[in-house]
Amino acid sequence: MINYRRNFFFNKTYAWLPIIILYISVLNEFDLNYLNIEYFSFNFPFILIFYFSLKAYSNFDYLLVFLAGLINDTVIGLPLGLSSLSYMLACIFASYLRNMTIRPHLIKDWFYFLFVISLINSITYSILFLFFSYDLDNMFYVINNLFTFLLYIPISYIFSLYLKGTNA
Amino acid sequence: MPASRDDFIIAIRSAFLKKNVKQKFSLLTLVFLSIFIIILSGVNFTPIKKIKVFINEIVYRSSFIVSMPENLIKNSYLKIKEYSNFYSDYGYNKIELKELKSENISSEIVKSENKELKELIEDYTITKDKILAKVIVDHQSPFLKTVIINKGTADKIKIGTNIYDRSYLVGRVIEVNYKSSRVLLLSDLNSNIPISITPGNIQAIITGNGKNLGEIKYTKDNLIENIEDKSIAYTSGTGQIFKSGIPVGKFSIIDKKILVNFFSDFTQLKYIFAEVESDVQKKPDSDIKDFNNSKSLTNTEKIKLNLLNEQIVILNDSNSKLIKKNKFLNSETNQLNQKNLDLQSKVNTQAEKIEKINNDNAELDFLKLNLIYSSKCQKTIFKKGYKVGSKEYRECILNKGKK
Repeated sequence: MINYRRNFFFNKTYAWLPIIILYISVLNEFDLNYLNIEYFSFNFPFILIFYFSLKAYSNFDYLLVFLAGLINDTVIGLPLGLSSLSYMLACIFASYLRNMTIRPHLIKDWFYFLFVISLINSITYSILFLFFSYDLDNMFYVINNLFTFLLYIPISYIFSLYLKGTNA
Repeated sequence: MPASRDDFIIAIRSAFLKKNVKQKFSLLTLVFLSIFIIILSGVNFTPIKKIKVFINEIVYRSSFIVSMPENLIKNSYLKIKEYSNFYSDYGYNKIELKELKSENISSEIVKSENKELKELIEDYTITKDKILAKVIVDHQSPFLKTVIINKGTADKIKIGTNIYDRSYLVGRVIEVNYKSSRVLLLSDLNSNIPISITPGNIQAIITGNGKNLGEIKYTKDNLIENIEDKSIAYTSGTGQIFKSGIPVGKFSIIDKKILVNFFSDFTQLKYIFAEVESDVQKKPDSDIKDFNNSKSLTNTEKIKLNLLNEQIVILNDSNSKLIKKNKFLNSETNQLNQKNLDLQSKVNTQAEKIEKINNDNAELDFLKLNLIYSSKCQKTIFKKGYKVGSKEYRECILNKGKK
């Protein structure tokens, strides 16, 4: 019985792992900033949200993603709702690609992801600059975009291993 | 063609509206909700503000707890780095300490003068209490450089409160909750700091460059060329955003680019000071002002007088020592002069003696030769020669009889 309960708890945690990691990442902002590598930054939540929306993972609740966006805004100090909007847009684009694609291909997904994050970051930048008068460095956005794009492949490989684990 | 357009529309519709088994809301609903929240967050509405404060309090605490493992790794990494630089830092600090000790006295005078001038400018007195606050979240995003501290409205912190690391300026509060606040760091692109630059007393506005450094945004009368390497920036107090005279950073000119190295390392902030201010009654009466000024003047003068008295004592002491030394040296010089004269006379007598001996020796030699060669040089009836005692006779004797 105890063994069953332990297994049940483990299975539940494992099944909800993407959401747990998403919440940890938005609360903790683990982007390795403290290494002081100039300009180095990437948006891990974008990769995670896009990947699991694309794969239509059953435990990836959009409402929880939306709440994660609100938390991210609070932690970073952006106007409330902006990250939620970005995450929702990422989900919409991923969902659209999923519906349109019959034979998925990683490289195609990868370049589509570049288009999506570029578009979302442009929208975010425009909102912050035009409506909230924030002073922002374009270079940071471009480099953040680039590193997020480059890291999509290795991180999606890790996520595919995770998905294989859930099917097993 | 119509078929592909249908596919597109179906894909869009299903992306926006279709809910999976476990999804409670469609994406379109959530997008509208996000836009609604963005609009609401831009509106200054009290219930929303209260909800925001409540969310902030929970999220900041949760973020602090979740960040603990990463902070542990981060701190260990920084500690190792610190230990490896320990010896070089020690040497540098030793030199710096010596320099600072020598600057301490003059800075005391400047401080009191500064206080006096400030009281002349402002017609009110401010009691300043610096309260210690802990940095609970320091996720410095590449876009916004902010930290969250564990003090809020409950501790009299308000928007615009100046934040310090020791006596160096760190930033100001831009968002306040009940028990936490968000501090905008000087290195952020949105932070503008009116500063004075010394030497030269140049007025400028600096802004963060988003990478722990500052850049000049505006300089009065294009005085940018007058800024020297290692010039010091301190707040000018213009615009009353920051108090005047707070050290900000040091200038460094790299490849003709003027950058400000902030005195405080914003990546290492653990505890900071928040300056809580409470205005005490305004004092418009000139009498009270004069009284305060005279009081502050006496304080300043007291410090100055004390320092001058100390200097006089030191000077007197060194003066008496010099007089003593001078006297001693004078007497010694006299003695030596006397000795010198004695020795000179001795030398003279000895020189005379030597000359006399030399003369005697020459005479003795002549007499010796005279005994031998007198017959050759002497004039007789039968022989041609010189008269005895004449100069030629003497030369003949000395030439050993050769004429």
